[in-house]
Amino acid sequence: MRIEYNFAFFDEGSKREIRRATLKAVAIPGYQVPFASREMPIARGWGTGGLQLTLSLVGKEDILKVIDQGSDESVNAVNIKKLITKTTGIKVTDETSEATIIQSRHRIPEIPLQAGQILVLQVPLPEPLRYYEPSELETKKLHAEQEYSGAWLMLFEQIMNYGTMSTGADHPAMVHDRYVMAPSPIPRFDNPKLNHSQALILLGAGREKKVYAVPPYTRVESLAFEDFSFEVEGFKNKYCGLCGAKEVFLDEMLDDLTGETFYQCNDTSYCLQRLNQKSAG
Amino acid sequence: MKLDLVHDLQEAYRKTLDSMSRPGLISNIRDQASKVAMEINDFIPPAALVMVLMLFDTEVKFKVCSKREAEIAELINQLTYAKATEIESADFILVLKDADPEEFEQVINSACPGDLHDPHKAATIIVEADSVSNDRDLTLIGPGIEIESYISVKTNYSWVDLRAEKNSEYPLGIDLIFTDRDTNILCLPRTTQIVQEVAG
Repeated sequence: MRIEYNFAFFDEGSKREIRRATLKAVAIPGYQVPFASREMPIARGWGTGGLQLTLSLVGKEDILKVIDQGSDESVNAVNIKKLITKTTGIKVTDETSEATIIQSRHRIPEIPLQAGQILVLQVPLPEPLRYYEPSELETKKLHAEQEYSGAWLMLFEQIMNYGTMSTGADHPAMVHDRYVMAPSPIPRFDNPKLNHSQALILLGAGREKKVYAVPPYTRVESLAFEDFSFEVEGFKNKYCGLCGAKEVFLDEMLDDLTGETFYQCNDTSYCLQRLNQKSAG
Repeated sequence: MKLDLVHDLQEAYRKTLDSMSRPGLISNIRDQASKVAMEINDFIPPAALVMVLMLFDTEVKFKVCSKREAEIAELINQLTYAKATEIESADFILVLKDADPEEFEQVINSACPGDLHDPHKAATIIVEADSVSNDRDLTLIGPGIEIESYISVKTNYSWVDLRAEKNSEYPLGIDLIFTDRDTNILCLPRTTQIVQEVAG
């Protein structure tokens, strides 16, 4: 049996509910707005929050890009793209600058986002305070009271234990001087891109049933101490083995045969675009 | 042509979202509003009606401020299944042009601003203005605005000070959506601050 799905998979009631939550999320930057989080044909924890946001946004004229850890072609990205295109018939692209909606897991693309684009981030753990406070009721209170000492203490303990802030990804950030937000597991390298972004950034957590937002031109400051500043991952003297790019987020690769370490752009479409430009020029 | 409840409302939503995330940006929903040419236009202006159809359903409680409140509330209930309620408990409040200035003041003062645990439960107020434009009447700053943006909102009632007072304890506050007869939409989320008012 072939089911004729509604445009963008959802029924209109589900979209309306997400849309109402999204508008409130934009009005309160960084605050996690609860939403119903429908059952999706992919498992919770695999990007259902981002997917639901994308489906509530998407229209016939949109051009979609989906990335997973910087790659347009990994299983998660491909499956999400398939679901969206099969239920909407819209165009997909790999090129960041061409897309109107970019759904992403764990990265913000290297090419700066522009006004008119919407970045949708998939979030596994939207609660930055969950690490030390398991109760949702309690974390809601902590947010209400702007009581973030736990988040600071977590960073302080990391510095004490390891001599550095060891947040590999998902380094908490203060939004509009009010809410501490989990920026989704993007590397620290991408945190500064959230600050004064030209594009609207929406974050969706399907399993945890939360949406939140960073409107354009909003102050997003990664948590750090006066005497211990926030630092992004450094790739000093390292470059992409394929396209030669520097000052981008690199993946470390190991050559099994020679045992040598080499690096490659994490953002595959950025790398490919550079390679194409090189071969064209 | 009839309003397409899937695609037209999607387009209207994206425009509203754009305006909500960039306060001062005026979007126009003429294409969508022109399609709601039903007899109910006499009651609810088309731009506001598109907002109602876009956001209201059985989960929503609303309040209408107008001389013809009863008729309009009944109509909205029939169209969307949303429930009419009092100002204090409404998720959305629709203030039409023929509402009394005192009533508007009461709306702003009594509308739910959310609470610290649930600031998202605050009311959204949809106001029918005479006109909205980017004339340099009010200066806006805040999230979504690069440096400053300028707006002019013509209404029968003054709202700037009332809103400022209501929204003085961020994250509590109300979010405003202005519509006008040219089907423009202008959004003022609670984060937007009106820093200066130029007289005249």
